[in-house]
Amino acid sequence: MATMAHPDDAGRSQPADRSPQLPNIPSANVQLPAVRDYEQVDNEIADTLRPTLGWFVLLGIAIAMFLWGVFAETFQIYWGLGNAGYQPPVMWGVYIITFVFWVGIGHAGTLISAILYLFRAGFRTTIYRCAEAMTVFAVMTAGLFPIIHIGRPWKFFWLIPYPNWRYIWPNFKSPLVWDVFAILTYLTVSSTFLYIGLIPDIAVLRDREKNPIRKRIFAVLAMGWRNSDREWRHFARAYLFLAAFSTPLVLSVHSVVSFDFAMALTPGWHATIFPPYFVAGAIFSGIGMVFTIIIPIRKYFRLQHYVTLNHLDAASKLCLFTSLVVGLAYLIEFQIAWYSGNAVEKEYFFNRVFGQWWWAAWIMLICNMVLPLSLFSQKLRRNTTWLFILSIFINIGMWFERFVIIVPSLSHEFEPWQFTAYSPSWVDMSILMGSFGWFFMWFLLFIKQLPVVAIAEVKEIVAPKMRHRPHHVTPAGYPSNQEPNAIGGGTH
Amino acid sequence: MPGILGAFRELDSTTDAIHALRTGNYGDLTVYTPTPRHEIEHALGDPPSPVRRFTLIGGLLGVTFGYWIAIWVSDYWPLVVGGKPIASWVPYTIIGFEVMVLVGALSTVAGMFINSRIPKLTMTVGYDPRFSHGDYGVWVECEPANASKVESVLREHGAVEVRREQ
Repeated sequence: MATMAHPDDAGRSQPADRSPQLPNIPSANVQLPAVRDYEQVDNEIADTLRPTLGWFVLLGIAIAMFLWGVFAETFQIYWGLGNAGYQPPVMWGVYIITFVFWVGIGHAGTLISAILYLFRAGFRTTIYRCAEAMTVFAVMTAGLFPIIHIGRPWKFFWLIPYPNWRYIWPNFKSPLVWDVFAILTYLTVSSTFLYIGLIPDIAVLRDREKNPIRKRIFAVLAMGWRNSDREWRHFARAYLFLAAFSTPLVLSVHSVVSFDFAMALTPGWHATIFPPYFVAGAIFSGIGMVFTIIIPIRKYFRLQHYVTLNHLDAASKLCLFTSLVVGLAYLIEFQIAWYSGNAVEKEYFFNRVFGQWWWAAWIMLICNMVLPLSLFSQKLRRNTTWLFILSIFINIGMWFERFVIIVPSLSHEFEPWQFTAYSPSWVDMSILMGSFGWFFMWFLLFIKQLPVVAIAEVKEIVAPKMRHRPHHVTPAGYPSNQEPNAIGGGTH
Repeated sequence: MPGILGAFRELDSTTDAIHALRTGNYGDLTVYTPTPRHEIEHALGDPPSPVRRFTLIGGLLGVTFGYWIAIWVSDYWPLVVGGKPIASWVPYTIIGFEVMVLVGALSTVAGMFINSRIPKLTMTVGYDPRFSHGDYGVWVECEPANASKVESVLREHGAVEVRREQ
């Protein structure tokens, strides 16, 4: 890991003509002035690991939701896939929508942890651990849905190329096989990236822990990490290369997911815009979920001086940017349909916004295109209540985006006699709910066992103790007695 | 190998001690730091990490295997569609790319483990839990004859604790 702040940033302060109430801090230079030394970082972040009553209640709710989903899946396995609400030709429904939704959620985690690492964006430091854990659990959730969708989940391994006595191999020209490779690679690499980044922090917990059983568990997980120069040297290089591998991977995975649609000749799907459109949508939805998770965490774990309003402000700009890209993609899709001169394509896109599925399309457009425009206001970018509410709308909007892509296309294909309706059954919706339970169950377990803020990386941006010479990296842009949350207002 | 461990509170004291110890050539140094610091890296002057070679070799092996498995399977179990070539390199690039990332990433981690000499079953001599907390440590592996000189260099540069271990 490299030190994020550049020495030249030390004396850089806000221009005099700007009001101190509205700092516009570059995303690479977001500092932590209220964090004074390494001991404070260890103590405050390790304190978040103590379980509370509220945490047990939330975990109980998540497990109950997950168990309800398990019940619905068991029911479906016993009584058959006919209970899933499919109606020919709409044979892709809630399961594929939710699969794409959860894969998309994962993308922001990798963007924040890997891509922003390569770009030296300072605001990622305190939020990336949460985002990375979110990625791993979201991909774990997404991976369940193709298995649920096939109806005979015990046969999912047929997609994996393995030597077998019947000499039957998967078809490598099928996007479904590409999906298997992309998702499994993504899950493996993102889990590895999360774990490698955790090792130095687990060593901190190991060295602080008093309980002998927990100490032993942390010792095993830390694998004998001692913070030696040798370990840090190889760690920094490995972390850089993992970030460099994750960057194209994150772009490829959702491109491959988009090929599941774009390779088919279905109206609304067969477009070259799909890969960038899916990648932008994935990152946008993931940032929405990061806000949904990080805003309550910073409040209830009292981490406002780690995840400051400046961090949220910078992340909101990223959210706004991806919303604009997604909005542009929506509009270009209409333009492509109009310019194509293809009657079926034109009819389909008219139907999307003014026909049978108008309500879903307008939920998508309002949540993903219109409401995020509020982030042009810096006041709203620094208002955590608004950011949390907006993040819920983004999550809903992005689920509906996948609904709008999948269901209207299949229910309104080429032949009018095939046009049909689709409504999810209680089984679909229970499994959807169960997926949220499964995701939050893992996430809640994670935040009380392992640090939600990267201890070692936060220490990198805290000025070290010096004996003779003051260190050149000082928290820039603030008077030493001023806390970041005091600047710019906003609710905490 | 016996040695001397010095614990420091400040970064500049640690780097000054490293410079002095390297100049005196008293023995191999291991520096413990709660977070990676360029100042320590520069003071030690270590060569670049060889992890990159693991990454390169892993990536090349991965991409070769990815293309090979797709081409071999297509050839072994041909699915001829429209008279098009059986081994179609465009879609197989996806398989090649994904396997390159997978094997390359795992080789990178293997390279880090091998070069860092982890996992370790026991904590080696010369480590103190305070080095993951906030302090810096300098471990000098030296002959007993040099021990008192090393101790005085460490103390001179501000070590808050100096102890002999073996």
